Amino acid sequence: METKALLEAFREACPGHSFDAHAMPVDETVIEVPAACLEDVVDALRSTFSVYHLSTITGQDRGTQLELLYHFWHGQGITLQVTLPREDPCVPTLTGAIPGADFYEREVGEMLGVTFEGHPGPQHLLLPEDWESEPPLRKQRPAEEGDT
Amino acid sequence: MTRITIPVGPQHPLLKEPLSVRLTAEGERVVEAAMRIGYVHRGIERLTEERSYVQNLHLLERVCGICSHVHTTTYCQGVEALLELDVPPRGLMLRTLLCELERIHSHLLWLGVLAENIGYTTIFMYSWRDREIVLDVMENLSGGRIAHAVNVIGGVRIDLEPEQVDAIRRRLDQLQEQVDDLRDVVEHESTLRARTKGVGGASLEQVRRHCAVGPLARAAGLDRDVRRDAPYAAYDRLSFEVVTEAGGDVWAATRVRVLEVFESLSLCHQILDNLPSGEVSTRAPRRVPEGEIVSRAEAPRGEVVYYIRSDGSDKPARIKIRTPTLPALSLVREQLRDINIADVPPVISGIDLCIACADR
Repeated sequence: METKALLEAFREACPGHSFDAHAMPVDETVIEVPAACLEDVVDALRSTFSVYHLSTITGQDRGTQLELLYHFWHGQGITLQVTLPREDPCVPTLTGAIPGADFYEREVGEMLGVTFEGHPGPQHLLLPEDWESEPPLRKQRPAEEGDT
Repeated sequence: MTRITIPVGPQHPLLKEPLSVRLTAEGERVVEAAMRIGYVHRGIERLTEERSYVQNLHLLERVCGICSHVHTTTYCQGVEALLELDVPPRGLMLRTLLCELERIHSHLLWLGVLAENIGYTTIFMYSWRDREIVLDVMENLSGGRIAHAVNVIGGVRIDLEPEQVDAIRRRLDQLQEQVDDLRDVVEHESTLRARTKGVGGASLEQVRRHCAVGPLARAAGLDRDVRRDAPYAAYDRLSFEVVTEAGGDVWAATRVRVLEVFESLSLCHQILDNLPSGEVSTRAPRRVPEGEIVSRAEAPRGEVVYYIRSDGSDKPARIKIRTPTLPALSLVREQLRDINIADVPPVISGIDLCIACADR
């Protein structure tokens, strides 16, 4: 699967938006996708290229913004990179097309405070139900009493 | 009919690890199942950011208490790729040997757990007796039965003397004979068939939608194996068959795992017959250049994924771990639907749970 073909299909699926690609080592293509296009792009990935397997979603705090990496795999890896603002980060859920994304989204949601719009059951996955502090994977958490 | 809710876990005799399953039943039929995990969440991903790459080896080995070696393998090959390090072929072969021994150990352990859960204690006893052989081999190789500490960044820390190779071959031949008997029972014994055939089936489409991996996905006919599709370590130099079945029920999952033990035994022999000479590791610098990578490997339960990002220091900036149990837990909610309550134990044990892995 060539990066060029992927980019063309994505531009067709979501006109008016720009897509940039770069590569990680070991056969991993990374394509930057605007949050608004995510669903269309995943549809294209599934229907045009028969890539069904979402390995996982990595969420990370990059300082000025949050970054979600949707790692798809089909013998070779395709990662969709979505950047979100730190304030009120929101992205559409993929659980409609890929029910397996349920747990991955809940984990990213609680660890980084990202809202997955349309998620059928956005409860905590790993954290206790009564967890009220900052999402634990956010950097520069304000100091609390008892912190060393 | 009145619906009742049956809570199974988080502390329950059926479960070896804490998991909460809420079953909604109409009479004896389960109509819905909901999951809650997180009871053994240790925050390992966050902890890796506080430790150096070398210290993380020991932390990540403890993500899983069964497939500990595959976690360090996935981690090491990711870091090695970021360092652009060439691991000596002998080191890669020995790393692969441990991966396959671990797969045999995991599958035999699982067969025992399944047998115990369906009340077939004889098979439980036999499969755990046979598993001792492979544990002994691993202990002789590394000094540890479960946590081997074999991988280092740049290779492995163990080497094999020729007499050790012969001793392992003899032990594996003995294991092969005993597992042959086990396969015979699994394939022909009517009790096991009655309790597993047609129980907890999953279609190829369901497996795809829930992104399930490993023997669970192959039992439903999804022909996928990281070892073959994206060879890592020394798998490009070895030959093996990817075992698939159809139907995705507990019976198919059992067959896949038992037959995979034979493939793993064959892989071990291939490795022992073709061990290249030379060094087993190469020196790795402490600091890792800036970059990011996704590293994959086939654990006994399926695809393990590590995302590693380095900011150029001696500690990783982010490590994300996805273990195979997480998608399996997603799929099992569907497998538990519309089955008899008595079939809940084989279905839950059929997916080969590792909650500590899923929680991290």
